[in-house]
Amino acid sequence: MSQDTRDATVGSGPNDAGAVTESGMPGSGAAGMARILKRETHSSRAVVSVMAAALVIVVCGYALLETAVRAFGQPPWLIDPQTAAERAVALPAGIPPLLLGVSGAVVAMAGLFFFLNAVLPGRRARHLLADRRAGVVVDDEVIAAALARRARLAANVTQGQVMVIVSRNRVEVNVRPTSGVPLRPDAVLEAVRRELQDMGPSPTPEVRIHVATSGVVGA
Amino acid sequence: MNNTPRVLNRILIGILGIKLLAIGVLLMLLASVPAVGVWWHEWAGGVLKYWLDLFERTQFPRHQGSWLWFAICGGLVLVLALMVAWVAQQGKGRTSLIAAEEDPGGVPGNVGISGGVAEQALRAALADRPDLAGVTVAAYEIRGEPALKIRVEPRQGVAPHALAAEVSALVEALDAVIGKRTPVLIHIGSGTRSRFGRAERVR
Repeated sequence: MSQDTRDATVGSGPNDAGAVTESGMPGSGAAGMARILKRETHSSRAVVSVMAAALVIVVCGYALLETAVRAFGQPPWLIDPQTAAERAVALPAGIPPLLLGVSGAVVAMAGLFFFLNAVLPGRRARHLLADRRAGVVVDDEVIAAALARRARLAANVTQGQVMVIVSRNRVEVNVRPTSGVPLRPDAVLEAVRRELQDMGPSPTPEVRIHVATSGVVGA
Repeated sequence: MNNTPRVLNRILIGILGIKLLAIGVLLMLLASVPAVGVWWHEWAGGVLKYWLDLFERTQFPRHQGSWLWFAICGGLVLVLALMVAWVAQQGKGRTSLIAAEEDPGGVPGNVGISGGVAEQALRAALADRPDLAGVTVAAYEIRGEPALKIRVEPRQGVAPHALAAEVSALVEALDAVIGKRTPVLIHIGSGTRSRFGRAERVR
């Protein structure tokens, strides 16, 4: 209980601060900041890189083992490199075609995964906010939660009846009204739009609202 | 924000991807199209013959065996070392100092301000806010210049622009204390604590 009243007293602050934010310049102007923001909104592919390196290390490590064993004239562990090469040359023979095709498909899928990771832009689900001092990056999830709260207050429904999906260029607000209580979609849309305008994320998404045809009973 | 080599990552992942894709497609074609099998047999047979000749010509002078095996071993060790070096490059760039300058006063020496100063100050300022689930502050080195990354995890429903403005005001106060404007990134994110914790009710 004490927490709630505490929050209420702090509540008047953020609105003023929000107004200040709007008048601020986007980013802090420096070229270094632009680079930081670009890097923050795009994936670094560090995880995929570690996976790729691990794959290469495992394959090369095994090849090293067999090659070293062969170089010192010892019996091979699993297969001699020369025998392996000869088997690879004779390939359609010596293995069931189904197994060969399936393993080929698996290898191709792994290759496609790595290739697409390298080629696609790798944008993260984040938006930038304007601020006069610092660069601000916000996860889309946080924006969605804030908009959902605003929509819930405007529609006068409970938390479970509003779902907001934020993507790069679109905000989708899904509302399930309470049965028997009329809901004005325009008012909800207006409230969400105003909140988004105050927030000023870039790129600015477009707001859509869907009101479910069936209501929730007893909410 | 760290100094992960992004272009290198893209290039190396791309090369690996194309190679795996090519091998996979070749295996699938070998399994399904007989004509490809004939071509493969001829082409790969030629390559194998070339290598076998190479092994014959690279025998040790006195005793049996080719030194080419050792050369291949060396090449593989090199590849392994490069891969380990590549992994070690990921997520690099943390630093401990947010300011380090020569003291212009009469006493010779440098002044360094640890990133822990910024972290402690911001944590203390944001500690008893009920609308935050967590704050972390880290210092990174961007092209030789220190920069701060402040990661804030608000509870569900907190307006991010209001939070950003408040943290930004704290950063301005920190500027006054430190006496130097370092680049600052505020990341308002969501983690497990903010996702599954209770939502902010009044604000």
